[in-house]
Amino acid sequence: MSRPKVVPFDGPRPGAPLDDDDADGLRERLEELQAEVERLRGAGEEEGGRGPGRSEGLLVALARVLHGGRRAFTWERVARLWAEIYFAWHTEDPDDFGYDPVFTRTFMPFLEFLYSVWWRVETEGIDHVPAAGQALVVANHSGVLPWDGAMINLAIRHEHPARRECRMLALDMFALMPFLAPLVAKTGGVRANQENGERLLKRGDLVAVFPEGVKGIGKPYKRRYKLARFGRGGFVRLALRAQAPIVPCAVVGAEEVHPMLLNLGWLGRPLGVPYLPVTPTFPALGPLGFVPLPSKWSIDFGDPIAVAPYGPQAADDPILVNRLAQEVRATIQNMVDARLARRRSIWFG
Amino acid sequence: MSQPRTAVTGVASFLGARVLRRLVERDGAASVVAIDVAAPPSALEVVHRAIDLTEPASDQKVLDTLREEGVTRLVHCAFFTSPRRDSTYSHELESIGTLNLLAAAAAAGVDHVLMRSFTAVYGARGENPNFLTEDRPLQPNAGLAWVRDKLEAEQHAASFARRYPDLKVTVLRFAPLLGPDVHNFYTRLLDHRVVPTVLGYDPLVQMLHPDDALTAFELALAKAKGGAFNVVPTRPITLGTALHTAAKVPLPVPHPAAYPLVDLLWAAGLADAPGGFVDYARYLFVADGEKARRELGFTARHSSRDALISYLHYRHAAPQLWPARAPA
Repeated sequence: MSRPKVVPFDGPRPGAPLDDDDADGLRERLEELQAEVERLRGAGEEEGGRGPGRSEGLLVALARVLHGGRRAFTWERVARLWAEIYFAWHTEDPDDFGYDPVFTRTFMPFLEFLYSVWWRVETEGIDHVPAAGQALVVANHSGVLPWDGAMINLAIRHEHPARRECRMLALDMFALMPFLAPLVAKTGGVRANQENGERLLKRGDLVAVFPEGVKGIGKPYKRRYKLARFGRGGFVRLALRAQAPIVPCAVVGAEEVHPMLLNLGWLGRPLGVPYLPVTPTFPALGPLGFVPLPSKWSIDFGDPIAVAPYGPQAADDPILVNRLAQEVRATIQNMVDARLARRRSIWFG
Repeated sequence: MSQPRTAVTGVASFLGARVLRRLVERDGAASVVAIDVAAPPSALEVVHRAIDLTEPASDQKVLDTLREEGVTRLVHCAFFTSPRRDSTYSHELESIGTLNLLAAAAAAGVDHVLMRSFTAVYGARGENPNFLTEDRPLQPNAGLAWVRDKLEAEQHAASFARRYPDLKVTVLRFAPLLGPDVHNFYTRLLDHRVVPTVLGYDPLVQMLHPDDALTAFELALAKAKGGAFNVVPTRPITLGTALHTAAKVPLPVPHPAAYPLVDLLWAAGLADAPGGFVDYARYLFVADGEKARRELGFTARHSSRDALISYLHYRHAAPQLWPARAPA
């Protein structure tokens, strides 16, 4: 056993009264030691794979400012606090498409609350989603805000035995809008286009797409559960090129979360949004209008539609592409209708 | 001996100087000719021809040099890595200079021209896919002289490659460089404590380590395959993460205000780039390195994050989020 090392201490004897010089000396020594601890901690973190710019964390920075009172309110502290707020909940190593697992994990409890308590989502046929390899989930789109995408993602993540991650192909209006653009990318969304979809599928990812696009998500309440045109069949071309099976998916309940009574599109267009809804709660209740109504949801997955027999070159056959798109659309419409026929109440299922 | 002789232009530029040094180290000083208005380091003992590519008769001078020195390969690095206020001069050098150089190379019967270019020529746009491939049309953002000159140089290169089948023209589109000794637009931003960003946008960006850039040059010279290749790091990084790693204080500016504001600062001589470059902090211009891997056998060894950290280590001996200081 090694004896503890004796550290020479050149301060005043314990118990003796401190004069001001001693106190200042001790304070200086304490600051030196604190700086040393900071330095060592920084070095240790760097070895552990964390970057050199590791900060002390939002809560510590906030506590310092609050604890220090008015004296701590310097530009230095404010800048530090601001940077902590700005960089909170970010991973240091996002994936190639900007997916940020730390950020997503931070928001997960909120989404889980929506999933299991607020909308009480019921899933059926989750085993139709392949456990591994590429697949294209095609779903109906509704509900003004893209909550349905988040819930499909959560359903596959939580209920599928393989706990798969699903990458959403996001509409331009979400993928390019300020604030929403980074939010979409950090939670695993990717701007919807052929190149991105093909790259994800060829990587072996599970990709979800809403071919109705804006026409689906921004449709008035009186046209609820009537599927809009399925784009120009881009999703079929995508599936054909990547030779990925199409998994039809029907979401019921999302139409009622923000029932759009009136569309003030003419007001929204200059702001860069293709639709601006008037719902029973928005804009009448102000920010409360963003709270979605607690309808009962169901997410059904259908039998995968194999496109492999047609071969990748079939993507250049517009007649075939359109026929397949219509087939998928009819399948999803039937699934929605079947679920609606079973549904007794909007709120209780 | 049939050692290929290589002429290098732009030897005063960061990449040009490194390519020159690498060639001298590998094949000896006799195998290299430097063409630039500025002289290369005298320690390298290479033949230096001071030719100003912006002169009207420079094509004849280059042609004479190429013939006299028996040059078989030409590496063209005479490009500005940052926007310049004197856009007339940079246009003359980059667009017209490239034209002169290519004309001389074609007339002298040079086998292979290797030209440096930038992934910025794709243009940063909302409709870009996450990874731009080489067959993507080049659509630089309107009104940016810096990118337009690069685009014109690329167009000259493509047209010469078409007209002279014997002349192999390789264009390497490098992602923005970041690493030890690099001084460019990014490093000037990173040298400030407070860095402006575009409010509500956080695009992925690529930062290429200079070592990888040099490896790509060597492979492209060795393989001598014509065509354009993206030279990119293994992985991109989001701008926000990069600023976080570099311990910067972000200053988000709403994008409608950012364009005129940056233009104003540029006009006042306070900004490093005109307002059009806000697009490059707002939208994606991430390129795909698959073609270079397949045809040149080039794979980057560093990710964007590695490049950034190597720059931070070079710039600050011990990078720290907040400089140590006494409590207030």
